[in-house]
Amino acid sequence: MQKTYVVIPRNCTGCRTCELACSMIKGTEGVFARSRINIYKVGEERYMQMTCLQCVEAACVKVCPTQALVRNELTGAIEVDEDRCVGCGLCEPACPFGHMHFDLDEGVPVKCDLCGGDPTCVKFCPHRALELK
Amino acid sequence: MYIYIDGKKISANDGETILAVANRNNIYIPTLCHHEALDDVGACRVCMVEITHKDWGGWTNLVTACLYPVEEGLVISTSSDAVRRSRGTTLDLLMARCPTSDVIRWMAEENGEISVRYEQVDDGSKCIMCSLCVRACEKMGCNAIGTVGRGHDKKIAPPFFENPENCIGCGACAAICPTGHIEMKDTRTTREIWEKKFDFVACEVCGEPVMTEEYRDYAIANRDLPADYYTTCSACKKKKLASHFDKVGS
Repeated sequence: MQKTYVVIPRNCTGCRTCELACSMIKGTEGVFARSRINIYKVGEERYMQMTCLQCVEAACVKVCPTQALVRNELTGAIEVDEDRCVGCGLCEPACPFGHMHFDLDEGVPVKCDLCGGDPTCVKFCPHRALELK
Repeated sequence: MYIYIDGKKISANDGETILAVANRNNIYIPTLCHHEALDDVGACRVCMVEITHKDWGGWTNLVTACLYPVEEGLVISTSSDAVRRSRGTTLDLLMARCPTSDVIRWMAEENGEISVRYEQVDDGSKCIMCSLCVRACEKMGCNAIGTVGRGHDKKIAPPFFENPENCIGCGACAAICPTGHIEMKDTRTTREIWEKKFDFVACEVCGEPVMTEEYRDYAIANRDLPADYYTTCSACKKKKLASHFDKVGS
């Protein structure tokens, strides 16, 4: 059965290990700003993990002129088919939640693809604030 | 149907091109002007392969893999001597046309030794006339650039070499260019491409650039999404959603 990516904000301590793990595994050399998951401080000792929601009716999929964003039916994640992307970058401003990032240097969008069904951030989270169940 | 690529028996579907079948089976054929989402035109001539058939009586032919449709029992060679020679000449000519391009140099090295037989054009241009930018622009529905002239004088340019009226500054042409010839200059507030200046829509919260004003108008007119999606930058959207989630949760 398809698993669901769950964030549990009350367990999050804001250590940002997930950001580090993501930016390492996705080949962005540990640059936090280019991680696909971000931690936001929302109050005193309160943090929120923000990553792609893999919307059912996704705005990014809707605006793509070449159908380069496709849902992987096995994992439920929307993945970027880099071969089909022409690099128009419309998916970034189209996402109402800000989870799409268009990499101007590489000319392709960058988004969470749940690491093909086995998210690295989940494995690295020391406080069980991220789960796949 | 079955075809043979480099001695390997591979199943193929009617109407597919040789390149599509090779890509699907992870057989490498170098290309410069091919893109999965755009129509092939066979402009770069780098994807040449040698084909033959048992009924052809030993006759072989060099064809572009991106355009040639497969047929039953076709025997394809992706790296025979004839292919390497043909590809070598093409890359040699491309090297002479744009000696500063790293992609062409890398591809020529990959194909064999780099021979420099032709006089090099030293105008700093890296354009190889593959027309990927033109096709990408067409895909976006803008048609702001096109090919001008023929043969030696052929150029990629906006109509009448003036500021392209239809250009929305999306940057797809610059992103798709295989050699990085198309320049796009971004500052915090403006973008310059094809000698046309665009103003960025500034994020209403932090002032960071979101997209060009023309691109926003295009998106509102052509995509079925609310206009207020395009007013805020990604980081501010995320921040807003995070505090919203926090409120809902507590």
